[in-house]
Amino acid sequence: MRGTRSLVVLKLALLTLSSAEANRPRGVSPEFAKYYKDPTTFTCISNPSVHLPASLVNDDYCDCPDGSDEPGTSACSYLSPLSPITPPDIPNNDNINTTIALPGFYCKNKGHLPAYVPFTNVNDGVCDYDTCCDGSDEWAGVGGTKCEDKCKEIGKEWRKNDEARQKALGNAGKRRKDLVAEAGRLRKEVEDRIQSLTTQIEGSEIKVRNLEDELRDVERREKGKIVRGSGQRKTSRINILAGLARQRIDELRDTLIRVRQERNSSKDRVKELEAILSTFKEEYNPNFNDEGVKRAVRSWEEYAARDKPSDGDAAHDRDLDAITQPDKENGLDWDEWEDSEESLDVDVLYKFEEYLPVPLRTWLDQKLRDLRIWAIENGMLADRPSDSGESRAVSDARNRLESAQKELKDNTDSINTHREDLAKDYGPDDVFRALKGQCVSTDSGEYTYEICFLDKTTQKPKKGGGDTGMGNFVRLETIFVDEDLPPDGKGLGSGQRIAMRHENGQHCWNGPNRSTTVVLACAEKEEIWRIVEEEKCVYRMEVGTPAVCEIGGGRREKGRDEL
Amino acid sequence: MQRLSISWTAFLLLCLTLCSLLTPAVSVKHENFKTCAQSGFCKRNRAYADTAAAQASTWTSPYALQASSIKFSQGLLTGVVTKKAGDETIRLPLTVSFYESGVARVTIDEEKRQKKDIELRHGSKARKERYNEAEKWAIVGGTTLSSGAATKNGEKKGETRVVYGPAGSFEAVIRHEPFGVEFLREGVVEVVFNGKGLMNVEHWRAKVDKPVVEKKEGETEEEQKARESAVVQEGEDEGTWWEESFGGNTDSKPRGPESIALDISFPGYSHVYGLAEHAGPLSLRETRGESNSEDKTKYSEPYRMYNSDVFEYEMDSPMTLYGSIPFLQAKKKDSTVGVFWLNAAETWVDITKTKSFVKQAVDKVLQNPVSLGVTGSMTTDTHWISESGLLDVFVMLGPTPQDVVEKYSELTGYTQLPQMFSIAYHQCRWNYVTDEDVRDVDRKFDKFTIPYDVIWLDIEYTEGKKYFTWDPMTFPDPLGMQKQLDEHERKLVAIIDPHIKNEGNYPIVEELKSKDLAVHNKDDNIYEGWCWPGSSYWIDCFNPKARDWWVGLFKYDRFKGSAKNTWLWNDMNEPSVFNGPETTMPKDNLHAGGWEHRDVHNLNGLTLINATYDALLSRDKEEASVGGVRPFVLTRSFFAGSQRMGAMWTGDNQASWPHLEASVPMILSMGISGFPFAGADVGGFFGNPSKELLTRWYQAGAFYPFFRGHAHIDTRRREPYLAGEPYTGIITQALRLRYSLLPSWYTAFHEAHTTGAPIVRPNYYVHPPDEKGFGMDDQFYVGSTGLLVKPVVKEGQEGQDIYLADKEKYFDYFDFWTYEGPGTVSVAAPLETIPVLMQGGNVFVRRERPRRSSGLMRWDPYTLVVVIGNSGDAEGTLYVDDGEGFDYQQGAYIHRKFSFKSSTGTLMSEDLAAEGSATSKKAKDYLRSMEKVRVEKIVIVNAPEAWKGKMEVEVGTEYLASKSGLTRKVGMEWHGREEGKAAWAVVRDPAVAIGKGWKIDFTA
Repeated sequence: MRGTRSLVVLKLALLTLSSAEANRPRGVSPEFAKYYKDPTTFTCISNPSVHLPASLVNDDYCDCPDGSDEPGTSACSYLSPLSPITPPDIPNNDNINTTIALPGFYCKNKGHLPAYVPFTNVNDGVCDYDTCCDGSDEWAGVGGTKCEDKCKEIGKEWRKNDEARQKALGNAGKRRKDLVAEAGRLRKEVEDRIQSLTTQIEGSEIKVRNLEDELRDVERREKGKIVRGSGQRKTSRINILAGLARQRIDELRDTLIRVRQERNSSKDRVKELEAILSTFKEEYNPNFNDEGVKRAVRSWEEYAARDKPSDGDAAHDRDLDAITQPDKENGLDWDEWEDSEESLDVDVLYKFEEYLPVPLRTWLDQKLRDLRIWAIENGMLADRPSDSGESRAVSDARNRLESAQKELKDNTDSINTHREDLAKDYGPDDVFRALKGQCVSTDSGEYTYEICFLDKTTQKPKKGGGDTGMGNFVRLETIFVDEDLPPDGKGLGSGQRIAMRHENGQHCWNGPNRSTTVVLACAEKEEIWRIVEEEKCVYRMEVGTPAVCEIGGGRREKGRDEL
Repeated sequence: MQRLSISWTAFLLLCLTLCSLLTPAVSVKHENFKTCAQSGFCKRNRAYADTAAAQASTWTSPYALQASSIKFSQGLLTGVVTKKAGDETIRLPLTVSFYESGVARVTIDEEKRQKKDIELRHGSKARKERYNEAEKWAIVGGTTLSSGAATKNGEKKGETRVVYGPAGSFEAVIRHEPFGVEFLREGVVEVVFNGKGLMNVEHWRAKVDKPVVEKKEGETEEEQKARESAVVQEGEDEGTWWEESFGGNTDSKPRGPESIALDISFPGYSHVYGLAEHAGPLSLRETRGESNSEDKTKYSEPYRMYNSDVFEYEMDSPMTLYGSIPFLQAKKKDSTVGVFWLNAAETWVDITKTKSFVKQAVDKVLQNPVSLGVTGSMTTDTHWISESGLLDVFVMLGPTPQDVVEKYSELTGYTQLPQMFSIAYHQCRWNYVTDEDVRDVDRKFDKFTIPYDVIWLDIEYTEGKKYFTWDPMTFPDPLGMQKQLDEHERKLVAIIDPHIKNEGNYPIVEELKSKDLAVHNKDDNIYEGWCWPGSSYWIDCFNPKARDWWVGLFKYDRFKGSAKNTWLWNDMNEPSVFNGPETTMPKDNLHAGGWEHRDVHNLNGLTLINATYDALLSRDKEEASVGGVRPFVLTRSFFAGSQRMGAMWTGDNQASWPHLEASVPMILSMGISGFPFAGADVGGFFGNPSKELLTRWYQAGAFYPFFRGHAHIDTRRREPYLAGEPYTGIITQALRLRYSLLPSWYTAFHEAHTTGAPIVRPNYYVHPPDEKGFGMDDQFYVGSTGLLVKPVVKEGQEGQDIYLADKEKYFDYFDFWTYEGPGTVSVAAPLETIPVLMQGGNVFVRRERPRRSSGLMRWDPYTLVVVIGNSGDAEGTLYVDDGEGFDYQQGAYIHRKFSFKSSTGTLMSEDLAAEGSATSKKAKDYLRSMEKVRVEKIVIVNAPEAWKGKMEVEVGTEYLASKSGLTRKVGMEWHGREEGKAAWAVVRDPAVAIGKGWKIDFTA
C-alpha cells in the first residue's frame, strides 16, 4: 500500500520537474520558482523591500539578508545563528529578516527523488551523493572536483531497497496483527482468570467466616477446662528445674562472654580493614584505569554506602554487661527458688468446692467456669500458662481457619495482580502484552546485550565475568527522534517513537545507577539494531519490533519530506 | 598574644579541614614527587648557596681559569678551569663559542671523566663520560662560529674580553679568578655567570670510607671528638653521594656525585619567563620563600624540570610537569635577554630577586640612600642545578623578545609547519569505544553542522593495550571507519605509547626483545616495568636500530588498519612507569651507548616523537606521486627541540575553573619557549564540567594554537552537540569562529615556522617597553593579526577588563565598539560572547563560509578585514599553501602583504614570496590551482568619514595593469558611526585572485 503511494508521489515529482525545469536558476526548487521569474529584478524573499538586479542572483556573493539571492551557491551559508556574525556580514542591516529563506540547494536528482543539500555543502569539493545523486551540488568543480550523475544507479538501488522495505513493512503489519491478536488472547486469559478467582474468593470468604465461628466456640469450651491436682508435686520438680536452669544459665553466660570477646576482636579487624580500604580509595590513581582496582574500589564504595547495622552498641553493650553479671546482682537468687513452696491462685477455689453436694457442685462448677472465662477475658485473671500448650481441639480449629485465610489471601493477591496487570499500560492495542518476557539479544563489541521486554536490559561480557543489569522496566514513554534511516530500513528514522524506560540497573563506577531507554521502531521481527552509551552508564537501545508498526513506529522514507 | 595564636591555629585548622572536605582526592600526590631536600644534588647545591650567602664577603668560588691555557681562534675560546678541592686540583676543560648569530655558549666538561679515567661502582656498564649528546638531539642550527669575534685589545689583567655579535655590539668579559663571565650589550652588563660564586662541578672521586680519627697522643676524648666533628663539617654532605632512596626505590649511582650548578644573574631585570612546563604564572615567581609563609608570591621550592606523569597536578606550583624546556628569558624595559641551559638531566632552578641600584649611583646611595631618591631596579638571580652531564649554556643578548626567541629557535629548530587540519578542531575522548561509535560521532557533528577535523582514539582501541593492533571485537573495521572520515577530509589520530606489552604471541614485543631494542636496567638486562598493559618493556629510541625498527612499524602493511588519514599521538613518553620511582624509570637504567637514564631523562619524550615523526614521513614518502605529507604527532613529554616534530598539550588537567584559568599562562609560556603549537584539554580531562565551564572552555580553546576537546573515561559524554541549547549553539559559534579565522592562524604558524615567533603572544612580547604589562598573562594577541583576546575563565563572569598597552584604537570583534588605549577597558562578555578586540592598524584574513572540515574550505573565497587605527594605515599578511605537503619548500605557496595607506587611499596586495621562488613545476601548478580563489569581501573597520556616500571603488589587478592599465569598478557600502561603534565599509566582491597582485583605490 505504501509502495504504491510513494510511486505516485515520485511520478508527480517527475512531472513537475520536467515542466518547471527550464527557467529556474540553479538550486531553486519548484516550490520557490515563483520568486525567480522576473528577468530583470530580484526581490529578496523574506525582505520584499530589498531589490537587486537579477544578474546578482547566483553570482556567489551574498546580497539578500535572508540569503535568497544565492540559491545555487554557498555564498550565504554563513547566515546562521551558529555563525559568528559581525555587522557587515548581514547585508543591508536595517530592521530586516535574517532568517534564511531557502531550505537548501535543490538537487533535481532526475531518476531518483529530488532533495535539498545544505548550502554549506555546495561547491566544497565533496560529492554529496547521499542527498544529491546527480552531483549538481558541485557544479563549480572547485579544485577539479567532478561529480558524475549517479541518480540512475542510486535511484534503482533505492527503489529496490524501498520495495524490500515496503514488503518488510507489509510483513511487519501482518505480524503486528498477530501480536495484537495474541495480546487480546492473553488479556482474555487474564480476564477469565479474574472471573474464576472472584467466584473462588466468595467461597473462601464464607468458609473463613464459618471457621472463625468454630474456633471461637472451641476456644470458649477449652478455656473453661481446668488442670487440677498437679500443684502438690510441683515443688520438687521446680526445684530440680531451677537447678538445671541455673546450670544452663551459667553455661550461656560463659558462652556469651566468650562470643562477645570474639565479636569485639572481629569488630576491630573490620575497622582496621575499613580504614585500609578508605585510604586505598583516597590514594589510588583512577587515571591508571586498572579494572581490578576499580572493581575493588567500586565494591568498597557500595559497601560503605550501605546501611550499617545500627550502632546501638553502647546500649547493647550495657545490656550485655548487665546480663553477664552474676545472677545475684540481677536480683535472681537461685537458692531461694530451689527451696520455695509453690501455691497456685486457683487452689482456694477448688478447696471450697469439695464441701458441696454433687448437683450443686456441678451447677457451681459451670458458673465458676463461666466466671473464670469472664475474668480471663476481661483481664482480671491470668490465662493458663501457655507452656502447657493449647488443646488439640483449639489448634486444629485454628489451623483450619489459617489455611482458609491463606487461600483467601492468595486468591485476593492473585486477583489484585491480575487487575493491576489489566490496568497497566501495554501500549496501543495492548500489543506489548504479547511480547512480555520475550528476550532478544545482540553482540556489540565485547558484550552481548539483551532486552527482555517489559522486564529488564542486560549487558553480558563475552570475555567472561558476571552480567550487568542495565535497568529494570518502569514505563512506556514517547520520545522524539531524528535519525537518518539506513538503506535497509533498520533504524529509528524521524518522529515520535515509543520508548521503554529501564531504571535502577547496577550502580555505575563514578556515576549513577545504569539506565536504558529502549527506543522502538517498526521492523519485521524483534531485533536490537544498535546500543549506544549516550552518557556514562546511560544507554540507549534501538530495537525493531512489529509491535509499533503504524503507530508512531512508522518511519520516514528518505526524500519523502523534501517533496 | 598566646590566645590569639591559639585561635589562629584553630582557624587555620578549620580552614584546612574545610579545604580537605571540599576537594577530596583531587590534589596531587606530593609524596610521589621529590622536593629539593629529597633530591640529594639539589639539597647539596642549595646548601652550597646558603653557605656562600652566609659568608657573603669572604666567600670565594674555588674555580679559576688558567690564563696560560687560553686559546682563541675563529670564534672559539678554549682553556682549562681548575677547581681546588683540598689538596686536589680538578681540571675542567672550558670552551666558549661565539656564533655568527650573536649567540655565545659556555661549555665546561671534566677532564678525568672525559678521559674515562674513573672507576664505576657495582660493576656498572654505564658510560664514564659526562653526557655530551644532548646537543645531538636538541641543536639543529645556528652553530656556525663567528669569524668576526675577536679578543679585545687593552684588556685588564686577569680577564679576557671577546667582542662579538651584530656590529660588535656584544662583549664577553671572562674573569680568570675566580672564574666568571659577564655578557655586555652596548657596554651594559646584561648577564653574569658565577657572579655569586655558586658554580659547582662535582668532580669524580673514589668512594672512601670515613677516615677514622685516631686518638693522638696526649689528646683527651673531647679533643678527639672535636676533631672528628671538624672533619665532618669541613666535608660536604656525602649522605647522597653514593646511593639515594625515594619511595621504596634505591638509585645505585655508579658514578657517584656529578652534579653541575651555576648562578646566572640578570642585573636590572625584574621579570623572568620560561622554564616550561609549569602550572603557574608566566612571569616566574621567586623560589626562596619560607615554606609556610603567608607570602604566596614566592615558592619555597625551586622550579623543577624532571619530566613526569604528574597525576592531578596543582595550580600555581614550581613542581615539575610532563616536559622541560630549560630556556629562560629576562625582561627589563627595552631589553630582553635569554639563556638556554642545555642539559637533559633532572634540573632545578632557584630564582631570587633583589632591589638594586644603578651601578654608578651605588656610592652616592650608600652615602645617603634616602635623600637621593634614586629609583631602584630589580635584579634577578637564578641558580641552575643539574644532576649530571655537561655545564653547557647559551646566551642570547636580545634586545627584543623576538630576537631572543628567534636565536633560540635557530638553535633548537623552528616549530613544524603543521598540516591545516591539525590547527582545526580535534574531538577526543578516552575512549570512543567502537568503530561504529566513531562513525556515529562523525555523523552527529554533520547533523548539528558543527565543524571538526580530527577524531581521536585513546588506548582502548587496541587489543589488550598491544599497540599496532585493533581490538577485533570493538574495532572490526578500522579502514571502513577511516574511509567514512576521509569522505569529508577528516582524520583519525590513534595513540601509540612507548611501553610495549610483555606478552607471548605479540610479534612487536618479540622483535623488541630478540633485536635488543628496549631500555636496559642497571644490570644491563632488559628493563621491565608496569604501565597500561601491565608488565611492559620500553623502546629505547636513543638506539638508532630501535628508531629504524620503529619507523618500519608504521608502514601500512605492518600497522594494519592504519590509513593515509591516520596520525599519531605519543603519550606516556616521560616515560611514565606506574611502579617506577616518581612514576618513571629508575635513574640507573641504561640506554643505548651506555648512557644512564639520569643523563637523558628529559630527552626521552623527544626521542620517541622524533622516531614517530620519521616513521610517518617515510610511510608516505614511498609513493613517488606525493612529495611526502607533513606528519602530525602529539606529544605529552618534550624537551628543547620537540617543536620540530609536532604539537604538545598540557596533560591531564581537570574540569575546573582554575584549570581553565591556568591553561592560558601555560600556553603563553610554551609560545615564548619556542614550542608554540600547544593546547590544553578543552573541557578538562578529569571530572565533569558544568555546561557553563564547557562553553567558556570552548571559547578559550578556539584561541589555543592546538585545539582539542578531551575527556577521561569515567566522565560523561560531552561532545558539543550534547550540551543542549543555548550551549551547543554558543560552542558551535566558537568553533566556527576558529574555522573562519584559520587563514590567520595558518599565517601565524608560518611566521612561527620561519621566525620562531609565538602564535599566541603575551603583552610583554608585543609591547616590550611597557613595564605595566610584564606580569600580564591572562590576555594575548593572535600572531600578528592584532586580535587581542582575553577569554573568560571565571564562573558567572559577564564582563572582562582588558588592558590596552598602546595608544591605539581597538574595536570589538563582534560589534565594532570602539576602545582607546592605553589603559584598561571593560568589555561586556555574556556567555555567548568571547572578549576579542581588533587592534587598529592591522589587516587580517578569514573565510566565512562554514564547512564540515578545514579541508573542505580549501577553495573558498577570502574576506579581508582592514582595521584602521590612529595612523589611518593598516597592514597584514597572509600565507597559504596546500596545507599538507612539502611542496611549499619548492615555492608552492602564496605569501601576500596587504597594506592600506590613508595617504593614497589605496589597499594593495604585494608579494612576499622570495624572488624567483615560484619557478618550480610544483610551484606553478599550485599557483594555477589557486587562480580562481578570490577575495570576495573586504571589510574596513573604522572607515573614514570621507567615504560617506561613496558607492564604488576602483580595482586594478596586476594582470590588467600589465596589459593595458585597465581597471574596473566594484560596489562599496559605507555605514556610519553608531553610538560607540565604529564606522565601517564593505567592498562588494572585488573578485581579485588571492595569489595575485592588485590595488583597490578608494579615492577614485
